[in-house]
Amino acid sequence: MTVREKIFAAAKGMRGRAKNCIKIARNRVEKSWQYQYRDRRNKKRDWRRLWITRINAATREHGVKYNEFINGLGRENVCVDRKILAELAVNEPHSFKALVDRVKHMRGL
Amino acid sequence: VMLAMNATNARPHVAVAAQQRQALRGSAVKGINVKPNAVVRMNTVTRAHVVKLPEGVTTEKLGRDVFNTTYYPKGEDVDMSRKPWVVVDAAGLRLGRLSTYVATYLRGGNSPSYSPSFNMGCNVIVINAADVVVTGKKFEDKLYYNQGVRGKPGSMKVETYRSLHGRMPERVVERAIRGMLPKNRMGRETFTHLKVYAGSEHPHAAQSPQDVTADCMRATHKANQCDLESCAPQ
Repeated sequence: MTVREKIFAAAKGMRGRAKNCIKIARNRVEKSWQYQYRDRRNKKRDWRRLWITRINAATREHGVKYNEFINGLGRENVCVDRKILAELAVNEPHSFKALVDRVKHMRGL
Repeated sequence: VMLAMNATNARPHVAVAAQQRQALRGSAVKGINVKPNAVVRMNTVTRAHVVKLPEGVTTEKLGRDVFNTTYYPKGEDVDMSRKPWVVVDAAGLRLGRLSTYVATYLRGGNSPSYSPSFNMGCNVIVINAADVVVTGKKFEDKLYYNQGVRGKPGSMKVETYRSLHGRMPERVVERAIRGMLPKNRMGRETFTHLKVYAGSEHPHAAQSPQDVTADCMRATHKANQCDLESCAPQ
Protein backbone atom coordinates (compact mmCIF):
# COMPACT_ATOMS: atom_id res chain seq x y z
CA MET A 1 0.00 0.00 0.00
CA THR A 2 1.45 3.32 -0.94
CA VAL A 3 1.51 6.26 1.41
CA ARG A 4 -1.12 7.97 -0.69
CA GLU A 5 -3.43 4.97 -0.45
CA LYS A 6 -2.97 4.90 3.30
CA ILE A 7 -3.93 8.54 3.58
CA PHE A 8 -7.03 8.10 1.49
CA ALA A 9 -8.01 5.10 3.53
CA ALA A 10 -7.76 7.19 6.66
CA ALA A 11 -9.68 10.01 5.01
CA LYS A 12 -12.82 7.99 4.39
CA GLY A 13 -15.94 9.78 5.54
CA MET A 14 -14.46 13.26 5.47
CA ARG A 15 -16.32 16.09 3.95
CA GLY A 16 -15.68 17.60 0.56
CA ARG A 17 -12.27 17.60 -1.05
CA ALA A 18 -10.63 16.28 2.08
CA LYS A 19 -11.50 12.73 1.10
CA ASN A 20 -10.49 12.95 -2.52
CA CYS A 21 -7.67 15.40 -3.05
CA ILE A 22 -4.32 14.41 -1.62
CA LYS A 23 -3.08 17.84 -0.69
CA ILE A 24 -6.12 18.55 1.44
CA ALA A 25 -6.55 14.98 2.63
CA ARG A 26 -3.02 14.85 3.94
CA ASN A 27 -3.63 17.92 6.11
CA ARG A 28 -6.92 16.70 7.46
CA VAL A 29 -5.67 13.21 8.13
CA GLU A 30 -2.64 14.50 10.02
CA LYS A 31 -4.96 16.70 12.03
CA SER A 32 -7.20 13.74 12.74
CA TRP A 33 -4.22 11.82 14.03
CA GLN A 34 -3.40 14.71 16.38
CA TYR A 35 -6.98 14.74 17.59
CA GLN A 36 -6.91 10.99 18.14
CA TYR A 37 -3.74 11.29 20.19
CA ARG A 38 -5.25 14.03 22.31
CA ASP A 39 -8.64 12.38 22.64
CA ARG A 40 -7.28 9.01 23.73
CA ARG A 41 -6.27 10.91 26.84
CA ASN A 42 -9.47 12.98 26.94
CA LYS A 43 -11.61 9.87 26.67
CA LYS A 44 -10.56 8.78 30.14
CA ARG A 45 -11.43 12.16 31.59
CA ASP A 46 -14.79 12.31 29.80
CA TRP A 47 -15.91 8.93 31.03
CA ARG A 48 -14.98 9.79 34.58
CA ARG A 49 -16.98 13.01 34.38
CA LEU A 50 -19.99 11.07 33.15
CA TRP A 51 -19.69 8.56 35.96
CA ILE A 52 -19.45 11.31 38.54
CA THR A 53 -22.53 13.07 37.13
CA ARG A 54 -24.48 9.84 37.19
CA ILE A 55 -23.43 8.97 40.72
CA ASN A 56 -24.33 12.50 41.82
CA ALA A 57 -27.82 12.17 40.36
CA ALA A 58 -28.32 8.73 41.87
CA THR A 59 -27.20 9.70 45.37
CA ARG A 60 -29.28 12.87 45.35
CA GLU A 61 -32.31 10.70 44.80
CA HIS A 62 -31.52 9.26 48.22
CA GLY A 63 -30.76 12.60 49.83
CA VAL A 64 -26.98 12.47 49.76
CA LYS A 65 -24.67 14.57 47.62
CA TYR A 66 -21.79 13.19 45.59
CA ASN A 67 -19.09 14.74 47.74
CA GLU A 68 -20.61 13.39 50.94
CA PHE A 69 -21.02 9.98 49.32
CA ILE A 70 -17.44 9.70 48.13
CA ASN A 71 -16.14 10.98 51.42
CA GLY A 72 -18.23 8.41 53.25
CA LEU A 73 -17.03 5.60 51.01
CA GLY A 74 -13.45 6.58 51.61
CA ARG A 75 -13.97 6.57 55.35
CA GLU A 76 -15.65 3.20 55.20
CA ASN A 77 -12.72 1.88 53.17
CA VAL A 78 -14.95 0.87 50.29
CA CYS A 79 -12.77 0.74 47.22
CA VAL A 80 -15.44 0.46 44.54
CA ASP A 81 -14.47 2.79 41.74
CA ARG A 82 -16.67 5.31 40.02
CA LYS A 83 -17.16 3.23 36.92
CA ILE A 84 -18.72 0.41 38.89
CA LEU A 85 -20.66 2.80 41.11
CA ALA A 86 -22.23 4.39 38.07
CA GLU A 87 -23.00 0.97 36.63
CA LEU A 88 -24.64 -0.09 39.89
CA ALA A 89 -26.64 3.11 39.95
CA VAL A 90 -28.07 2.38 36.51
CA ASN A 91 -28.52 -1.39 36.59
CA GLU A 92 -28.49 -2.45 40.23
CA PRO A 93 -30.34 0.28 42.10
CA HIS A 94 -30.87 -1.76 45.24
CA SER A 95 -27.18 -2.52 45.60
CA PHE A 96 -26.44 1.14 45.09
CA LYS A 97 -28.98 2.06 47.72
CA ALA A 98 -27.24 -0.30 50.13
CA LEU A 99 -24.03 1.66 49.64
CA VAL A 100 -25.81 4.98 50.10
CA ASP A 101 -27.48 3.72 53.26
CA ARG A 102 -24.10 2.63 54.54
CA VAL A 103 -22.80 6.17 54.07
CA LYS A 104 -25.89 7.71 55.65
CA HIS A 105 -25.55 5.42 58.62
CA MET A 106 -21.94 6.42 59.02
CA ARG A 107 -22.79 10.10 58.86
CA GLY A 108 -25.62 9.63 61.29
CA LEU A 109 -28.44 10.62 58.95
CA VAL B 1 1.29 -11.49 59.20
CA MET B 2 4.13 -12.92 61.24
CA LEU B 3 4.50 -15.81 58.82
CA ALA B 4 4.64 -13.44 55.89
CA MET B 5 7.26 -11.28 57.53
CA ASN B 6 9.46 -14.23 58.36
CA ALA B 7 9.23 -15.93 55.02
CA THR B 8 9.63 -13.09 52.61
CA ASN B 9 12.51 -10.91 53.65
CA ALA B 10 13.84 -11.20 50.17
CA ARG B 11 10.62 -9.75 48.74
CA PRO B 12 9.56 -6.99 51.13
CA HIS B 13 6.79 -5.63 48.93
CA VAL B 14 4.93 -8.91 49.22
CA ALA B 15 5.20 -8.72 52.99
CA VAL B 16 3.69 -5.26 53.00
CA ALA B 17 0.89 -6.40 50.75
CA ALA B 18 0.11 -9.33 53.00
CA GLN B 19 0.16 -7.04 56.00
CA GLN B 20 -2.29 -4.67 54.42
CA ARG B 21 -4.57 -7.49 53.41
CA GLN B 22 -4.55 -8.80 56.95
CA ALA B 23 -5.35 -5.36 58.32
CA LEU B 24 -8.28 -5.00 55.98
CA ARG B 25 -9.70 -8.38 56.82
CA GLY B 26 -9.68 -7.48 60.47
CA SER B 27 -11.57 -4.24 59.90
CA ALA B 28 -15.11 -3.84 61.08
CA VAL B 29 -16.60 -3.44 57.63
CA LYS B 30 -19.57 -5.73 57.34
CA GLY B 31 -21.74 -6.31 54.38
CA ILE B 32 -19.43 -4.64 51.89
CA ASN B 33 -16.76 -6.71 50.18
CA VAL B 34 -13.51 -4.82 50.43
CA LYS B 35 -11.20 -6.06 47.74
CA PRO B 36 -7.71 -6.01 49.25
CA ASN B 37 -6.05 -6.15 45.88
CA ALA B 38 -7.66 -2.88 44.96
CA VAL B 39 -5.86 -1.08 47.77
CA VAL B 40 -2.41 -2.47 47.10
CA ARG B 41 -0.88 -0.72 44.14
CA MET B 42 2.33 -2.49 43.38
CA ASN B 43 4.39 -2.93 40.27
CA THR B 44 2.59 -6.14 39.51
CA VAL B 45 0.75 -6.33 36.25
CA THR B 46 -2.67 -7.95 36.40
CA ARG B 47 -3.29 -10.18 33.46
CA ALA B 48 -6.70 -11.34 32.32
CA HIS B 49 -7.57 -14.71 33.75
CA VAL B 50 -7.76 -16.84 30.62
CA VAL B 51 -9.87 -19.92 31.09
CA LYS B 52 -8.55 -22.93 29.24
CA LEU B 53 -11.50 -24.83 27.89
CA PRO B 54 -11.34 -28.60 27.55
CA GLU B 55 -11.00 -30.17 24.14
CA GLY B 56 -13.90 -29.82 21.82
CA VAL B 57 -15.79 -27.22 23.86
CA THR B 58 -16.62 -24.08 21.96
CA THR B 59 -18.13 -20.88 23.19
CA GLU B 60 -19.75 -18.11 21.30
CA LYS B 61 -19.69 -14.47 22.14
CA LEU B 62 -23.14 -13.41 23.22
CA GLY B 63 -22.88 -9.84 22.07
CA ARG B 64 -21.91 -6.75 23.99
CA ASP B 65 -20.37 -7.13 27.44
CA VAL B 66 -23.00 -5.41 29.54
CA PHE B 67 -21.26 -5.76 32.85
CA ASN B 68 -17.92 -4.22 32.02
CA THR B 69 -18.96 -1.39 29.72
CA THR B 70 -20.66 1.74 30.88
CA TYR B 71 -24.33 1.98 30.03
CA TYR B 72 -24.96 4.30 27.13
CA PRO B 73 -28.31 4.40 25.39
CA LYS B 74 -28.92 3.95 21.72
CA GLY B 75 -31.27 6.11 19.73
CA GLU B 76 -34.07 3.62 20.01
CA ASP B 77 -33.80 3.56 23.80
CA VAL B 78 -34.85 7.16 23.96
CA ASP B 79 -38.61 7.12 23.49
CA MET B 80 -39.90 10.64 23.21
CA SER B 81 -43.53 9.66 23.59
CA ARG B 82 -42.95 8.20 27.03
CA LYS B 83 -41.11 11.08 28.60
CA PRO B 84 -42.42 11.71 32.09
CA TRP B 85 -44.30 14.92 32.82
CA VAL B 86 -43.55 17.02 35.85
CA VAL B 87 -45.16 20.21 37.15
CA VAL B 88 -43.64 22.90 39.36
CA ASP B 89 -45.58 25.67 41.06
CA ALA B 90 -43.35 28.71 40.83
CA ALA B 91 -45.27 30.92 43.22
CA GLY B 92 -42.88 32.38 45.77
CA LEU B 93 -39.81 30.62 44.41
CA ARG B 94 -36.75 32.62 43.45
CA LEU B 95 -36.19 32.94 39.74
CA GLY B 96 -32.66 31.65 39.28
CA ARG B 97 -32.83 28.87 41.82
CA LEU B 98 -36.07 27.58 40.33
CA SER B 99 -34.52 27.73 36.88
CA THR B 100 -31.50 25.58 37.75
CA TYR B 101 -33.78 22.97 39.21
CA VAL B 102 -36.04 22.95 36.16
CA ALA B 103 -33.11 22.92 33.74
CA THR B 104 -31.70 19.87 35.48
CA TYR B 105 -34.99 18.06 35.08
CA LEU B 106 -35.31 19.11 31.46
CA ARG B 107 -31.88 17.84 30.57
CA GLY B 108 -32.20 14.60 32.48
CA GLY B 109 -29.55 15.34 35.07
CA ASN B 110 -31.75 14.08 37.88
CA SER B 111 -31.63 10.45 36.82
CA PRO B 112 -28.71 8.02 37.06
CA SER B 113 -29.00 7.12 33.39
CA TYR B 114 -28.13 10.65 32.34
CA SER B 115 -26.46 10.79 28.94
CA PRO B 116 -25.33 14.14 27.58
CA SER B 117 -25.91 13.35 23.94
CA PHE B 118 -29.49 12.25 24.39
CA ASN B 119 -32.51 14.05 25.69
CA MET B 120 -33.64 11.80 28.49
CA GLY B 121 -35.20 14.41 30.68
CA CYS B 122 -38.78 15.20 31.57
CA ASN B 123 -41.35 17.50 30.16
CA VAL B 124 -41.61 20.27 32.74
CA ILE B 125 -44.64 22.47 33.28
CA VAL B 126 -44.13 25.65 35.28
CA ILE B 127 -47.31 27.27 36.57
CA ASN B 128 -47.83 30.58 38.36
CA ALA B 129 -44.84 32.00 36.58
CA ALA B 130 -46.18 35.47 37.21
CA ASP B 131 -45.62 34.99 40.96
CA VAL B 132 -41.94 34.12 40.74
CA VAL B 133 -39.79 36.25 43.02
CA VAL B 134 -36.59 38.20 42.49
CA THR B 135 -34.81 39.55 45.52
CA GLY B 136 -33.09 42.80 46.09
CA LYS B 137 -33.64 45.62 43.63
CA LYS B 138 -33.76 43.34 40.60
CA PHE B 139 -37.42 44.08 39.93
CA GLU B 140 -36.45 47.63 38.99
CA ASP B 141 -32.82 47.21 38.00
CA LYS B 142 -32.49 43.91 36.14
CA LEU B 143 -32.16 44.56 32.44
CA TYR B 144 -32.84 42.27 29.54
CA TYR B 145 -30.82 42.94 26.43
CA ASN B 146 -32.04 41.80 23.04
CA GLN B 147 -29.86 42.18 20.01
CA GLY B 148 -31.86 44.02 17.43
CA VAL B 149 -33.50 42.60 14.37
CA ARG B 150 -31.26 44.49 12.01
CA GLY B 151 -28.08 43.20 13.61
CA LYS B 152 -26.51 46.65 13.55
CA PRO B 153 -25.27 48.70 16.49
CA GLY B 154 -27.94 50.97 17.84
CA SER B 155 -30.74 48.50 17.29
CA MET B 156 -30.33 46.76 20.62
CA LYS B 157 -33.43 46.65 22.77
CA VAL B 158 -33.13 47.01 26.52
CA GLU B 159 -35.99 46.16 28.79
CA THR B 160 -36.38 46.19 32.55
CA TYR B 161 -37.61 43.23 34.51
CA ARG B 162 -40.68 45.19 35.57
CA SER B 163 -41.61 45.91 31.98
CA LEU B 164 -41.04 42.38 30.67
CA HIS B 165 -42.85 40.90 33.63
CA GLY B 166 -45.80 43.19 32.97
CA ARG B 167 -45.80 42.34 29.30
CA MET B 168 -45.15 38.59 29.29
CA PRO B 169 -44.43 37.00 32.67
CA GLU B 170 -43.78 33.62 31.06
CA ARG B 171 -40.91 35.11 29.10
CA VAL B 172 -38.99 35.87 32.30
CA VAL B 173 -38.91 32.24 33.40
CA GLU B 174 -38.34 30.98 29.88
CA ARG B 175 -35.42 33.31 29.40
CA ALA B 176 -33.82 32.23 32.64
CA ILE B 177 -34.16 28.55 31.84
CA ARG B 178 -33.04 28.90 28.25
CA GLY B 179 -29.86 30.52 29.47
CA MET B 180 -29.18 27.43 31.57
CA LEU B 181 -29.66 24.90 28.81
CA PRO B 182 -26.96 24.11 26.26
CA LYS B 183 -26.90 26.51 23.33
CA ASN B 184 -27.00 24.01 20.51
CA ARG B 185 -29.42 21.97 18.49
CA MET B 186 -30.27 19.68 21.34
CA GLY B 187 -30.56 22.55 23.77
CA ARG B 188 -33.11 24.21 21.55
CA GLU B 189 -35.01 20.97 21.22
CA THR B 190 -34.88 20.48 25.00
CA PHE B 191 -36.35 23.91 25.48
CA THR B 192 -39.44 22.86 23.57
CA HIS B 193 -40.18 20.40 26.36
CA LEU B 194 -40.63 23.28 28.80
CA LYS B 195 -44.12 24.71 29.18
CA VAL B 196 -44.51 27.87 31.21
CA TYR B 197 -47.85 29.34 32.19
CA ALA B 198 -48.42 32.61 34.01
CA GLY B 199 -51.56 31.40 35.76
CA SER B 200 -52.28 28.30 37.76
CA GLU B 201 -54.01 26.38 35.00
CA HIS B 202 -52.28 24.21 32.46
CA PRO B 203 -53.80 22.20 29.63
CA HIS B 204 -51.71 19.08 30.21
CA ALA B 205 -53.88 17.35 32.78
CA ALA B 206 -54.24 14.40 30.42
CA GLN B 207 -50.53 13.67 30.82
CA SER B 208 -51.01 13.45 34.62
CA PRO B 209 -47.87 15.34 35.52
CA GLN B 210 -46.18 14.66 38.81
CA ASP B 211 -45.92 17.56 41.23
CA VAL B 212 -42.33 18.17 42.32
CA THR B 213 -42.82 21.59 43.89
CA ALA B 214 -42.07 20.28 47.37
CA ASP B 215 -38.80 18.78 46.20
CA CYS B 216 -37.91 22.00 44.41
CA MET B 217 -38.62 24.09 47.45
CA ARG B 218 -36.50 21.83 49.59
CA ALA B 219 -33.66 21.99 47.09
CA THR B 220 -33.81 25.77 46.77
CA HIS B 221 -34.79 26.70 50.28
CA LYS B 222 -33.13 29.73 51.75
CA ALA B 223 -32.06 27.75 54.80
CA ASN B 224 -30.01 25.47 52.59
CA GLN B 225 -28.20 28.33 50.93
CA CYS B 226 -25.70 30.62 52.51
CA ASP B 227 -26.92 33.32 54.82
CA LEU B 228 -27.91 36.15 52.52
CA GLU B 229 -26.76 38.91 54.87
CA SER B 230 -23.31 37.46 55.17
CA CYS B 231 -23.08 36.95 51.41
CA ALA B 232 -24.17 40.46 50.54
CA PRO B 233 -21.46 42.74 49.17
CA GLN B 234 -20.04 45.04 51.84
